[in-house]
Amino acid sequence: MEKVYVTGIGIISAIGNNTDANHHSLLNAQSGIGKAKYFNSKYTSSLNFGEVDLSNDDLKRITNSSHQKGLSRTTLLAYSAFQQAIDHAKLDPAELSSFRTGFISSSTVGGMCNTDELYADANLKEEPSEFVRSYGGGEHTLRLIEKYGIKGFTSTINTACSSSANAIMLGARLIKSGRLDRVIVGGADSLAKYTVNGFNSLMILSENPCKPFDIHRDGLTLGEGAGYLVLEGESTCKNKMKLAEVLGYGNANDAHHPSATSDEAHGPRMAMERALASCKLPSDSIDYVNAHGTGTPNNDSTEMFAFHKTFGAIPPFNSTKSYTGHTLAASGAVEAIHSIISLCNMELYPSLNCAEPISDYNASPIREFKKLNNMKIVMSNSFGFGGSCTSLIFSKV
Amino acid sequence: MYITDLKAISSQLTYKEEFLKGELVAYDDKVYNVIEPDYIEFIPKGLLRRMGKAVRMGVGTGLPLVKENNDIDAIIMGTANGGLEDCIKFLNQIVEYDEGVLTPTNFVQSTPNAVAGQLALMGQCKGYNTTYTNGGLAFENALLDGLLLFQQGACSKILLGGIEEISDYNYNIDSLVNKYKETAVKNSELIDATTPGTVCGEGACMFIMERNPKNYYAKIEDVGQITYPNKEDLAYCMDEMLKRNKLNRSDIDTVMLGLNGDINHNDWYTHVSEDLLPEANTLSFKNLIGDYRTCTSFAVWLAAHLLKGNTEFIETIQIRKSHSKKISRILIYNHFDAVRHGFILLSA
Amino acid sequence: MSQSREELKLELKKHIVEYLNLLEIKPEDIKDDVPLFGPELELDSIDSVEMIVLLDREYEIKITNPTEGRKILVDVNTIVDYILENKK
Repeated sequence: MEKVYVTGIGIISAIGNNTDANHHSLLNAQSGIGKAKYFNSKYTSSLNFGEVDLSNDDLKRITNSSHQKGLSRTTLLAYSAFQQAIDHAKLDPAELSSFRTGFISSSTVGGMCNTDELYADANLKEEPSEFVRSYGGGEHTLRLIEKYGIKGFTSTINTACSSSANAIMLGARLIKSGRLDRVIVGGADSLAKYTVNGFNSLMILSENPCKPFDIHRDGLTLGEGAGYLVLEGESTCKNKMKLAEVLGYGNANDAHHPSATSDEAHGPRMAMERALASCKLPSDSIDYVNAHGTGTPNNDSTEMFAFHKTFGAIPPFNSTKSYTGHTLAASGAVEAIHSIISLCNMELYPSLNCAEPISDYNASPIREFKKLNNMKIVMSNSFGFGGSCTSLIFSKV
Repeated sequence: MYITDLKAISSQLTYKEEFLKGELVAYDDKVYNVIEPDYIEFIPKGLLRRMGKAVRMGVGTGLPLVKENNDIDAIIMGTANGGLEDCIKFLNQIVEYDEGVLTPTNFVQSTPNAVAGQLALMGQCKGYNTTYTNGGLAFENALLDGLLLFQQGACSKILLGGIEEISDYNYNIDSLVNKYKETAVKNSELIDATTPGTVCGEGACMFIMERNPKNYYAKIEDVGQITYPNKEDLAYCMDEMLKRNKLNRSDIDTVMLGLNGDINHNDWYTHVSEDLLPEANTLSFKNLIGDYRTCTSFAVWLAAHLLKGNTEFIETIQIRKSHSKKISRILIYNHFDAVRHGFILLSA
Repeated sequence: MSQSREELKLELKKHIVEYLNLLEIKPEDIKDDVPLFGPELELDSIDSVEMIVLLDREYEIKITNPTEGRKILVDVNTIVDYILENKK
């Protein structure tokens, strides 16, 4: 079966508008979480967010889309990261429009970030707004397909927080099956009243920047962003620069509760075990884990329990959500990209805001920057509402 | 990939399958609502009370299949919009209470992967689980994922389905972009309508798919799709799918078309049935259930029964009968808004 | 006019059935001293948050976290006591 390589990445998040800027922030332990500047909600004065430091007009400018109407912030973020990824992989228009090039995206918010217009349109309050065609989860996918003339398999996934991790997994499987030569995979989500109020109604938002794996953690911080990876089969990218190999992946359902993980962490454990089994690796071959690490009491304790059961000795791990906040559907791709940045540079970045780590398992998150010169294999976890748990494994090329 | 069991909630009498004996429900409306079973008879009250319509329909069709098959190792769903009723209830709360203290159930139930998550929980199925929300190709995406899982030897039994509900949300928003007829249409006259727009439908269809069963309804051979194609791209996409399966156009004895009564979009269907497959039996399906983004799940339900030999209802959907041909290979062709186009190939 | 304790109990039970969408349960069926989160009603953590919303919307009582909520939301009697103590 064809090996699958990552030949390009594109990212926009609270810690930078491109890969280099994200790397710079990780290297300098610089969080992007703070008070929102552009997002409009009752909660912007009381809560912190991982907001991308660009207004919608800025995003339109940098993506050359100022002339287009009805583009949601989710779509604008997706445009930015997608363009970066295909530029990085040096894909030309013929390759993009090949029937053997696919595109799999994901979003939870989609165009619902335009909450006020959505309310008006859905309740037929006024004339249709400019966003009337943009609300669906798959609409940003359509905008990208149309913009780049993509003719191969396309899809949009929504499994909540594991969405773009599942997009990466499906993309790799499509290449290995021989149906596609290459596929752009990832996701995008923007801050929205819908999700802010949704998570707030479940009482799982922290008033302070999230503290993943800290004993005083009390909830998550919402973020936004987009991340795309270009995956290509070995025979397609022979002479290209390869950032990493997609070595393994695993998905499982926790089957316990719509919005909480089981104490036994069945879903997370099985996802990690299946990922390891898919590439026939023992657990001690993992050099670093980018944890799901949302900073909620439930996730972090169950995830650590899952680490304890999966690994003999828990490898170095962090949560980059302590930098970006929880970017929801985009988090799988954003954090896969952070893991690949870690891997390519052989660097381990500290998990922020963890003054007093959970001490149950003789392991704590990475506390300070470290070089790891023999870093070869990394794992990235994403566990979502509805029990969907996905674990990805990347290796150095 | 073989269909070994199936269940449908639709605007026809499909749940207990009276429809298969030719019992047809007539509609004269712009909206064709489903005929629902009495859920309280088999869904625990404590769970049912929280469920919006999409989740009720999904669980109503999925749960009986889960109970009959305790060895399901994957659950794959396609739903473009998830739990819209809950979505708008939560949205209305946000506006009406000015982002104050809000009830979480609507939010949790509105997420598109709520059905897949609920079925996993009720069946204690910890296997692969995913949900596609890709508009008019969400169900086709789910089918392809299933085919890949079997091809990769990753499982032996999958619960796979398509769900969509009507709520004020999608109806109002789709109306604003002129998706629907301005006046009521009899379903017997829908396919031949000469006005723009279609009628709004909803439904849930679930299938048990297996790798190598002894008995089955139909085989899902392959799936093809393309977005924003021109007519040449569409033909290429269809031919590539056939080539992949070592077939020619002449091997398709029956084509089931997603004609929905919208005069502006008929030309695609005319192209497929007259130009590409002129010899095939031609069937419709949307005159039974209206149009919605995952309605090809209903087309698959119909096709599976036809391939099994249950053909009593065929007069209700026959558009063109070609001489002599027995139904042994069906190609479903559908598009949504002429943007997303999909092919599903089934055989007996 | 202030409500009697009995009137308040019945009103609360009606709200509970409505907010939690309890099926085939009439307000009168909920006994005053039956634990809400016990085996009879089988309520869970999402219901406790819904109850907090109920108290806020119907009685202007603000409970800021679920832990505090658990102490108050034991049964109909404890909730009615709390409402009578705290209602504006």
